Amino acid sequence: MKIENKKNELRIQILKNLKRFLEPSCLKKAELRIQEMAFMLLAVFLFFVLIGLFILTIVYTNIHDTASQIAEDRTLSSLTSLADTPEMSCVGSKSNCIDGDKLINLVGKNIYGEFWPYSSLKVIKFSGFNKNEKEIIECKKENYPECDVFYIYDKKVKNERAISSFATMCRKEFENDYTYDKCEIVKIIAGTKLVNENEKQN
Amino acid sequence: MNLKKINNKGIAMSFNWIFAILAGGFILFLAIFSAGKFIRTSEQVIYSETAASLISLFDPLETGLASGKAHEINFKKKSKLFFECNENLNPPFGKQTISFSEQTFGEVYGEKGEEVSIKNKYIFSDRVVEGDKIYAFSKPLFIPFKITDLNIVTSQDQNYCFYDAPEYVKEDLEGLNMKNIIFVNETSKCKGISICFGSKANCEIKIFEDEKYVIKKSYGKRVYYVGELIYGAIFSDPETYECNIKRIKVKFDELAKIYLDKISIIERKDCKSNIGDKLSKLLGKIEDSRGLIELYEAAEDINSINRDAKSGCQLYYNGDFE
Repeated sequence: MKIENKKNELRIQILKNLKRFLEPSCLKKAELRIQEMAFMLLAVFLFFVLIGLFILTIVYTNIHDTASQIAEDRTLSSLTSLADTPEMSCVGSKSNCIDGDKLINLVGKNIYGEFWPYSSLKVIKFSGFNKNEKEIIECKKENYPECDVFYIYDKKVKNERAISSFATMCRKEFENDYTYDKCEIVKIIAGTKLVNENEKQN
Repeated sequence: MNLKKINNKGIAMSFNWIFAILAGGFILFLAIFSAGKFIRTSEQVIYSETAASLISLFDPLETGLASGKAHEINFKKKSKLFFECNENLNPPFGKQTISFSEQTFGEVYGEKGEEVSIKNKYIFSDRVVEGDKIYAFSKPLFIPFKITDLNIVTSQDQNYCFYDAPEYVKEDLEGLNMKNIIFVNETSKCKGISICFGSKANCEIKIFEDEKYVIKKSYGKRVYYVGELIYGAIFSDPETYECNIKRIKVKFDELAKIYLDKISIIERKDCKSNIGDKLSKLLGKIEDSRGLIELYEAAEDINSINRDAKSGCQLYYNGDFE
């Protein structure tokens, strides 16, 4: 009975001084420990997040490099056989030969930009090899064949690397009542769009 | 007093533990989730890179003046190539896509990589080609001038048994040295897809040469062919075939426009051509492969005019067109 009374007294005391009872020194210590642990965990978490971001940045840069490399390889491998494609190939059984009379009709045909894997494509005649940009004469139906360069198409990309290849170009000529093929060396220049992070952001 | 101490200590410890377990569990979950995601992404990147690199392997198959070329593609593990064709995307030429996947653990395939576009190739194959060795061969298509090279892709794991094949088919395919193409004679047996010329019963693929169509038992749909397109019709699924036929027709139209312009250029050099009118009549879309038959007949007419043109004034060269 006595013990029961004492317990009741204690309960009353607790209820009277509730604030004091809820803030014992041991709980403050526990709170501090929790805070310490939370900060520690946060620090560890942030550390690993930073490492993860660092790795991702490296991997992401590598992806861009690989994409550009694959695109360049593709340009190079297709450029070697470009002269033999039906759009350009010569009439006779000549390999690596461009038909100039077909090529002039490809000038400005931008739809081929959606067909070939190049960002730009042009063919420079031998006469234009050592000329600067101001001297060079652009080929059009009106001035063909007295010109230097055939601009097939240009997607005007910001970041591009050009690869070139040489081929023969033949066209029909008429002299002394005789039609014959006149051939010369030409340089095919194809551009590859390089995948660049800055460009992507723009 | 002792009991209180124990109780207090017990409460403090358990809260710390609960907090540590919850926070640790969350961090662990994030770590495992990120690692899994990273592995999957890396796998996807590798698969996409492989698919992109595979396209370059079709460039050496450009026939040029040759009547056909073939080569093998070897993979380290059993792999799957997924092909899709859409004639409406990338106008006017349409496009195909290729994606790649390989076996990871056991016989389970990883999720396929990104689809990589193929715009300047015409690949005839099943929609999924599976195996650790892939055979690819190409044949030029002339209607009547060269339009493109047809690239045919098959797997080493899939044999094609040809019954009663005509001589020209034997010559074409035996010359390419494809190990999964077998010409069955009376003494030999063959396990694989049976391909019959004529109305022989129980054949997976039947070719009717007179009517110029191929029918596959599993699809039950006729696809029409002309010239070297017979190989496209045999080795690809009908949907891919019809899609590529429409893409090829667009390429024919664009080439025809180039030739029409060429006529006006060579006229300046005393070369007159009577092909122009007939060629311009052939421009325009076709509904399906049936339209090829009419196109081919008109092409034969154009070809005879071109063949008879003044020496040095032929519009195009086509050694293989007959």
